[in-house]
Amino acid sequence: MFAGEQAELGKPSDTMSSSATTAKRTSTVPPASAGPKPPVSFSSSVTIAELAVLTGTYPVAIGSETVIHPRARLESLGGSITIGRRCIIHERTKIGYMGTEGKVVLDEDDRAVVLGDYVTVEVGAVVEASGTIIGEGTVVGVGSRVGRGAVIGKYCTIAPQSEVPAGVTIPDHTVVYGENKQRTDRRGVAASMMKAQAQQITNLRTKIPSNPAKFQ
Amino acid sequence: MSRRAPKGEYIETDTGNKVARKAILVGTQNITLGGKTVIQPEVMIRGDLSRSSASSGGSGSGNNTAISIGRYCFFSRGCCLRPPGRFYKGHFTHLPLRMGDHVFVGQNSVVQAATIGSHVHIGEGVVIGEMATIKDYTRILDGTVVPPYMTIPSFSIVAGRPARVIGEVPEGGHEAFELRELYKTVGNNVQPAPA
Repeated sequence: MFAGEQAELGKPSDTMSSSATTAKRTSTVPPASAGPKPPVSFSSSVTIAELAVLTGTYPVAIGSETVIHPRARLESLGGSITIGRRCIIHERTKIGYMGTEGKVVLDEDDRAVVLGDYVTVEVGAVVEASGTIIGEGTVVGVGSRVGRGAVIGKYCTIAPQSEVPAGVTIPDHTVVYGENKQRTDRRGVAASMMKAQAQQITNLRTKIPSNPAKFQ
Repeated sequence: MSRRAPKGEYIETDTGNKVARKAILVGTQNITLGGKTVIQPEVMIRGDLSRSSASSGGSGSGNNTAISIGRYCFFSRGCCLRPPGRFYKGHFTHLPLRMGDHVFVGQNSVVQAATIGSHVHIGEGVVIGEMATIKDYTRILDGTVVPPYMTIPSFSIVAGRPARVIGEVPEGGHEAFELRELYKTVGNNVQPAPA
């Protein structure tokens, strides 16, 4: 991330190159976690771990009974982040605008991301913002990646380590797995999965100490 | 975690565990390390997700171990260990993640297994689904996705998305699973490799 920023900052490098000693002062760049605090609107029943990271300038809205695990990153640098009710955002996930090739360009308009109700984003998954929408009851598996502007329907499953390319629309009840393969989920278990999600959240709420005040 | 002034990259315990200062251990009271285990930086271990029968507090001396790890295990940079969750008698609960000795976990792998035997090698970028069972002397190649509830028999070589048994560990290939030498190569004052 910093490589791009430094390339931008160091534009007058020709003038600086004569004094080689100043070139060492790269440590003054603030650490990656330090960023602007976004305006948040949490429901009162949100469970958000203290170790979660929220950065950016656009608003972040989180619906009721949603659980955010420690070390989840929500970056609203380029657009708002809306998370529905009873979602589970696991650790090490990244949701939001990550910048283009390490550079943060804020000229384009819509960098928003919307997660519907009952969405699960599993460990280490990345959801890139840019009008990205994830429908109700969808599971984004471990380490998978949702490209910018992708629109995922309701009750989909994105299998672990798979990728949804940018701008793609995926219909309801689809399973994305393996090397870009898709099939339709005909089990019809959406209702019971939502019930299971609600139970899982009640369980997680007793285990993850919540500290919404830190982000407000 | 000790609050001494930062000395080295690792904290070394009396039982020989080497835990990186930059590792993220959540709920340390529920994590058991057998000794001589290496935890590299940026490893995340979720000890807070313990079995829920022991009420909401979770602290104290109850046997609500979330993660128990044997001896000579090695967790590479960026991997993540978390106890699996499942429905048991109609309630959602997390079950402990049990791991034997000489288990290697590669970089950026996510392990949510219920049981991992001894002498198991897990490659880079592997995802092990919830409640999976992995027996002794198993080799899981890079990028494998082991589905939930899969049981992998002993001496298998596993690869693919989703995972399949693609071969068997050859006879005499057992010494490759030993992690004693690897243990010596990390830490604050590393001994030079024997000539």
